[in-house]
Amino acid sequence: MIRHPIQKRTQIILGVTSVLLLVILYSGLSWRQHRKNPKDTTIPNLSQFVEGWKKMATPDAADEIWIVEDAWATYSRLLLGLAFGVVLAVIIGMAMGCFREAEAFFQPPLGFAAKIPPTAMLAVYFVLVGTEMKMYIAMIALGIFPTLAQAIHQAAKKDVSEHAIFKAYTLGASHAEAIWNVVYKQVLPRIIENVRLQIGPAMVFLIAAEWAVADVGFGYRLRIQSRLLSMNVVYTYLAILATTGFLMDWSLSFLRRKMCPWFGE
Amino acid sequence: MNALKVENVSHWFGDNLVLHEVNLAIGAGQIVSMVGPSGCGKSTLLRAILGTHPPKAGKIFAEDTLVTKPSRDVGIVYQHYSLYDFLTAQQNVAFGLMLDETTMSFRIFQPGKWWSLNEQHMQEAAALLEKVGLAAAKDLYPTEMSGGMRQRVAIAQALIMKPKLLLLDEPFGALDEATREELQLMLLKLYEENIEAKKNNKRPPHTILIVTHELNEALYVADRIIGLSQYHQGGERGATIVYDKMAPIFKPNDPKEVADFLRQKEDIRKAVFDADHLQHHEEFVSYWKDKEKPYQTPTGSE
Repeated sequence: MIRHPIQKRTQIILGVTSVLLLVILYSGLSWRQHRKNPKDTTIPNLSQFVEGWKKMATPDAADEIWIVEDAWATYSRLLLGLAFGVVLAVIIGMAMGCFREAEAFFQPPLGFAAKIPPTAMLAVYFVLVGTEMKMYIAMIALGIFPTLAQAIHQAAKKDVSEHAIFKAYTLGASHAEAIWNVVYKQVLPRIIENVRLQIGPAMVFLIAAEWAVADVGFGYRLRIQSRLLSMNVVYTYLAILATTGFLMDWSLSFLRRKMCPWFGE
Repeated sequence: MNALKVENVSHWFGDNLVLHEVNLAIGAGQIVSMVGPSGCGKSTLLRAILGTHPPKAGKIFAEDTLVTKPSRDVGIVYQHYSLYDFLTAQQNVAFGLMLDETTMSFRIFQPGKWWSLNEQHMQEAAALLEKVGLAAAKDLYPTEMSGGMRQRVAIAQALIMKPKLLLLDEPFGALDEATREELQLMLLKLYEENIEAKKNNKRPPHTILIVTHELNEALYVADRIIGLSQYHQGGERGATIVYDKMAPIFKPNDPKEVADFLRQKEDIRKAVFDADHLQHHEEFVSYWKDKEKPYQTPTGSE
């Protein structure tokens, strides 16, 4: 039968098995490659990884520790970009969900902007705001904003019935209270869920921009190290990026469970 | 003192004439059932009284206040969407007190005072939940409650505001028979509170207009029953009130003898639901005249 429940133990065993299989597969490939060419760097073995980690964690010729410099640059760009994008999307999305005038005004440009690939806009941001921090923030914020605002608009419109709003007025709510205490509270879990979905795209936009124009950051380091075939550094950076995405996703999921326990799983 | 006064209210949507010169006065402390055929305009009239969709012609007053938009004077309990999903039962009931007695700036800039006032609101809410038999459910979210529990909380949420008029829009329509009867008893208890208040020369606390499509329920829970229908002479201009009479008064512990109001049910069917009965309805619109003379309740309970 489809969708039949399984025991927690079975679930854990299957999850661990899948990870182990990947590790075994990688080890086998690496072992075979090194038998052919002991100096191969495309599928590094453990000692090559350790060597790469040392390189990342010790000061280079310019007295810079790569991982520290890159992490600081990338994370500050990512978090600021996400923060600006989310705040803008919440304000505009909520306004569109609550006021027909805002809906009529913002819907056409948002629908249009949502169809433009943000990475294709790199040149536009480059011209408008330069190559400094502002460009990365604009890239992420304006990249996630149209889709996120549209999702919040739909949630505010569809998830909150007219009856819920009328009732709030009969309980003495002002317009601002109807928006904040009823509409916003009702759609908050949807907002968090949609922000979770935007973490992946935000990282794609940022890495693409760093790859193209940055001189520090994960995207920049990946570009340089890929050219040098230093896959021990590349794979490690990819793992760090995946872990970052996972931790941000988990944090938002945790936040949603804590702030909106009524929403369920 | 009238809790509600509807004066010559007419409403239409384009060429579709829905309400025609509806006149209605509901005294403070009355529990009034409104019945009518599907699509006759009951919801339109209710929305007009609530203030969300003002009528195209005529005026509506909640006591002396002209109704032009929804306000805390007129409360509402809907059949669905009655509670806020993100609040527990207790928070749902206290929600109106928060909105009515405080402002956003007060809650933000005077957190200490707001905290102690909120405690007070929550205590009031807990007391009211206990009164409607839901003390144990105060920390449950609506999704964790049954339909009957949700509607009890919704009624408590509206009652805590002490509105001049409470509208119940088919509030028990989605409930099973047993739960429906429990909630009907709850309304009878509210009516008893009205009688008690009148005895003590106090203003009766609950004035309720309940819309229902179930005739037994309409007769059982109310002390007055009105019928809105398009089946009258001139009905092409819209529905109006074609039936307005006293209903038998039951006490919570009285047996619910359906046979007692069979004759009145037949009258209502004829006057309100029978498309062939287009005669004058004066004989059925006699509440205020009947009120002058002693009323013979079929159960003899009053």
